[in-house]
Amino acid sequence: MRKPSKRTLSTVAVFLLLVWGGFLLMIGWAMRQPPEKFGRVMSHVPGPAFLLFPFETMWTQTRAGTMEPGDAAPDFRLPTLDHKSEVELSALRGKPVVLVFGSYT
Amino acid sequence: MYEQFGGQVQFYAVYILEAHPTDVWQMESNVKDKVLFASPKNEEEREYVAGACVRKLGIKFPAVIDGFDNTTEKAYTGWPDRLYLIGSDGKVLYKSKPGPFGFKPEQLEAAIKKLPEMRAGK
Repeated sequence: MRKPSKRTLSTVAVFLLLVWGGFLLMIGWAMRQPPEKFGRVMSHVPGPAFLLFPFETMWTQTRAGTMEPGDAAPDFRLPTLDHKSEVELSALRGKPVVLVFGSYT
Repeated sequence: MYEQFGGQVQFYAVYILEAHPTDVWQMESNVKDKVLFASPKNEEEREYVAGACVRKLGIKFPAVIDGFDNTTEKAYTGWPDRLYLIGSDGKVLYKSKPGPFGFKPEQLEAAIKKLPEMRAGK
């Protein structure tokens, strides 16, 4: 078999780099979408592909949010699970509050 | 942590949209643990899954449910999970990095221990 020329090799390398760059842009775009859409996109990404990008770094950046320590915490008024009462953040002043955001899955 | 600091700090779980429902982005670990829920389609379904979550995970502190429009989640960038400590003046003292990587209870604990309320209690 003939050895591939330097030119062919560099064309292949540039092509792969472009594909990878496009892939990174796609992941970055997905991370900025609402959670459901992001989840739908990611469910189509095959397992090994997760090794091809710095998930944690990109995720931490795209999901940083705009709120910083020192800012006033946005108020909310939400029902408790048993619907017996509502919790209003601003009504909890006077004592520190821990908020644990999460879901089951 | 709730048992240790519950006297000085108010703990609330904020139930938000599911991270890995069966119909969106299924996780192998959830299949193994049989934590299989489709994405709640309305308020009632969300309440049902939230209730299962609180019971099965044995969450002892009060839980509130974010509305189906996810307003609170959006304001706090809370998905998929995140920790906050808010001071008695209503200002954010500690904001974890986004979960799952950034969900670090030990950082929250360190922030709680720095509260003026904790020093006064000693």
